[in-house]
Amino acid sequence: MENVKAYIESGILELYVLGDISAEEKLQVEDMAQKYPEIRAEITEIEKSMEFYAEEHAIEPPADLRQRVLGSLLVNLGDDNTFTKAVTHQDDDHIKRLPGTRVNNFYKYAFAACLTLLLISVYGLVNIYSKLQDSNTQLTAMQTDKIRIANQVNLMDSQLDMYRDTTYKVLRLKGLPKTPSAAMILAWNSVSKKVMVDVQSVKLPKNDKQHQYQLWALVNGKPVDMGVFDAPEADTAGIKEMKAIASAQGFAVTLEPTGGSINPTMDQMVVIGQF
Amino acid sequence: MTPKRKISLSEEELVLALRNREKIAVEALYNMYSASLFGVISRIITDEAIAEDVLQETFVKIWHSFSGYSSEKGRLFTWMVNIARNLAIDKVRSKDFKNQSKNHELENNVTFIDEQKNTVYKPELLGIRDLVSTLKPEQRSILDLVYFKGYTHVEAADELGVPLGTIKTRLRMGILQLRKHFNE
Repeated sequence: MENVKAYIESGILELYVLGDISAEEKLQVEDMAQKYPEIRAEITEIEKSMEFYAEEHAIEPPADLRQRVLGSLLVNLGDDNTFTKAVTHQDDDHIKRLPGTRVNNFYKYAFAACLTLLLISVYGLVNIYSKLQDSNTQLTAMQTDKIRIANQVNLMDSQLDMYRDTTYKVLRLKGLPKTPSAAMILAWNSVSKKVMVDVQSVKLPKNDKQHQYQLWALVNGKPVDMGVFDAPEADTAGIKEMKAIASAQGFAVTLEPTGGSINPTMDQMVVIGQF
Repeated sequence: MTPKRKISLSEEELVLALRNREKIAVEALYNMYSASLFGVISRIITDEAIAEDVLQETFVKIWHSFSGYSSEKGRLFTWMVNIARNLAIDKVRSKDFKNQSKNHELENNVTFIDEQKNTVYKPELLGIRDLVSTLKPEQRSILDLVYFKGYTHVEAADELGVPLGTIKTRLRMGILQLRKHFNE
């Protein structure tokens, strides 16, 4: 068989006997050896040669080593009869590997310590972060509050200014027999011609969607449109600026269709006041 | 014959006795192979005390892992010499051993050992030493590198600065020449 001869001559069998061969190649050689007796015989010949070669290079170990080796094997033999083989084997392995294990343990513990520290740090960070978030939220809320209060103070201030300013004439509009509880206060600046309604002072029944209150100025006996407004919600503070007017003897409010009317509906008059 | 060789068995008998874990097998194993194995180990490890330890480890390992040996896959000695060589190489490459830095230059090692120690000459092998010296030096150096030093043929090619193909050819030719003489 040509390929068997070529296989033998390739030198792979020598490498196989010398143990210088990969695991795959080893399986392949063993496979071939089983199929072809020539290859099996060749391997045996090579093995015998190397065995003789080793014998030719043999060195007699010291006599006392013989006792040591036989002693350790016979102790093992005794152990084998007493214990299971696996136990003996593990014990041996354990003793040999101890120094290495110690080093490994150090790194293991160091790693565990690092991991623990890391976890604690992360936990701490998360805590602090959530506290910071809380503080930020509170701070924002307080700022909003502060602005709101400042606005309120400003508003109050301007409201007060209206009463302090001597150029403003303050007029209290009173209810008519039909609407005795109605009332409101407005101020008219004779210099800037502005007309301001003190919203908090407006005491009028609520108007519906189809109707609005309309303010009228009485100029020389004639009503002049000063703009519309709604009855304010309870406890609403502020000043509502109406249309400006150069002169007026008095003011009145009527209930009109939404958007206001050109002429006042006299029987819908709710309050009136005169200087 | 030295008195130490009084117990000796055929390879088949020895394998059977080892498999049955008989006491006689331990002594026969040592008698038959300790010198050959120690020769291999000593060429890898020059420190005698360490070489002796490795020989002891080798026998312990042979004893423990004997169930892993199968006569179908090869001769007993081939299996044992691989164990001895691997243990010795592991030892040489271990950190402890390197720290001692007692190892000698490789090329001188084999001849160094032969000069230092009394190699055993068996009567039946007389004349073979002449043969070995008639092996071509390049065949012998490769054989020694791979067989005694545990070099792979790739490493040997590197060490000797010779192409891989040449290494393989020289290995085969060297072994063929050995066979010719052993079979005469």
